[in-house]
Amino acid sequence: METQQMTTLAGVLDKKMNRQLKQYLDICARCAICKDACHQYVATQDFKYLPARRAELIRQIYKKYFTKTGEFVPALYEARDPDENLLDELYESAYACTGCRRCMYYCPFSIDTAWILSVAKAILIAAGKGNEMLGQLADAALFKSDNFEMFKDVIVDGFKDIELQVKELTGDPDAEIPVDKQGADILYVALAGAHSILPAAVIFHEAKASWTLSYFEAANYGYFFGDAVKARQIADRFMDEAKRLGVKEVVITECGHAYRVAEIFHEAWSGEKHSFKVRHILEVIDEYITDGRITVRPDAITEPVTYHDPCQVGRNGGIFEQPRNIVCALASDFRDMTPNREQQWCCGGGGGLVAISEMDEFRLKSGTIKAEQIKATGARIIASPCENCRLQMEGLNDSMELGIEVKAIMDLVLEAMPLAGSSAKVTPTD
Amino acid sequence: MSEEMKADLDLDLKGLLCPMPMVKVSQNIASVPVGGTIRAVATDPGSMADIPAWAKSTGNEVISAEKVDGEFVFMVKRLK
Repeated sequence: METQQMTTLAGVLDKKMNRQLKQYLDICARCAICKDACHQYVATQDFKYLPARRAELIRQIYKKYFTKTGEFVPALYEARDPDENLLDELYESAYACTGCRRCMYYCPFSIDTAWILSVAKAILIAAGKGNEMLGQLADAALFKSDNFEMFKDVIVDGFKDIELQVKELTGDPDAEIPVDKQGADILYVALAGAHSILPAAVIFHEAKASWTLSYFEAANYGYFFGDAVKARQIADRFMDEAKRLGVKEVVITECGHAYRVAEIFHEAWSGEKHSFKVRHILEVIDEYITDGRITVRPDAITEPVTYHDPCQVGRNGGIFEQPRNIVCALASDFRDMTPNREQQWCCGGGGGLVAISEMDEFRLKSGTIKAEQIKATGARIIASPCENCRLQMEGLNDSMELGIEVKAIMDLVLEAMPLAGSSAKVTPTD
Repeated sequence: MSEEMKADLDLDLKGLLCPMPMVKVSQNIASVPVGGTIRAVATDPGSMADIPAWAKSTGNEVISAEKVDGEFVFMVKRLK
């Protein structure tokens, strides 16, 4: 690699540099407490997955280009150029990380390794070495919005099919899935499939909520890819829709990273304060149950149920109690995992890893701690409000024969609600 | 049209939730030759927008996308 290109790549680090990042790069004491916090390192014992080691790769570029000692005596101060070898190491470190930030929770200095690795991804993208699959998924999402008229009819047709199931379940021939409804209280942002639309539509109907469904999906592969501009543009699609419709709040479906992007990142990325609240759907459902707007049968689920805190909803999103409140309201035998809440182990499915086939074997291996946690509860059902977590736990269920059912919380709520319509079980893919 | 063509690869994506049908088509496109086709059958209605959007943005082609008995059947041609 030419010197000029390496200098350009180091310039990406310069652009991302701020006081906090500089502190993270300067302060690591190499205590290695983070090794016991990372599910990937604990499961594999592979040095390259040790959080401090992952961050060290960016630190080596930092030393070479931002410190005099590293510039003049690189070998002594472990300073390196971002050459092909270093980029290959960065790729494995950055795209394997789920961004769970459990290492940050245990780090004495709270070093945010996931943030440092977001810089690594930016460098890789600048070098043309970003993950191809995640980049394709991000581009497909943007293509859909940039050419919306091409897709609008097929999207709305899909909503109409789901609406028929809402009518059947609620027993209300006037039940609907509203779209583009000016002045609705809530803009609900689902995933592309029916599974996150149908239960929410029934719940909103029963709660007599004023809502409208977004044309766009909440999932944000631009975030996983590591391209902050694309990630903002993908979120802009429904944030602009919320502004146009004048809603009071944007409610994000059971998806971890989508919630964090919308609630935590988007205002900073766009440089604009939202004129509406952003909430996770489980905050809304918990409120509906508490306020008596919807009813769930307290003994609807008698089999033991456990709950997995998705990292982006729990540790990084601050939502711990509402999902537990909901599960406890409808299940008679709730068993929490140990540890839980902010100390919860990552399941291994985040960061877009479920879409990266070459990481399948590693991803499932990294989930062995989660599988052992689940087994220890004796639960037959595991509920979790994140699509990536559920996909990972279904993979663990198959590969490790856990004998569990993996459910979204909304599906449990739907099972527990006394509905006037069809008692036949309607699955979202029917 | 899709019923008449023999695909180079058949993908059963029934039961997969979006965006996984799109992900599976993308993961498998390299396994057919340029000019070759994948016949994919999905059940998630979101795939009706997802798979054509993926094809357009990656320079491939959806020859047909049909709803048949509640399933979504795609013929995807690899163009590069």
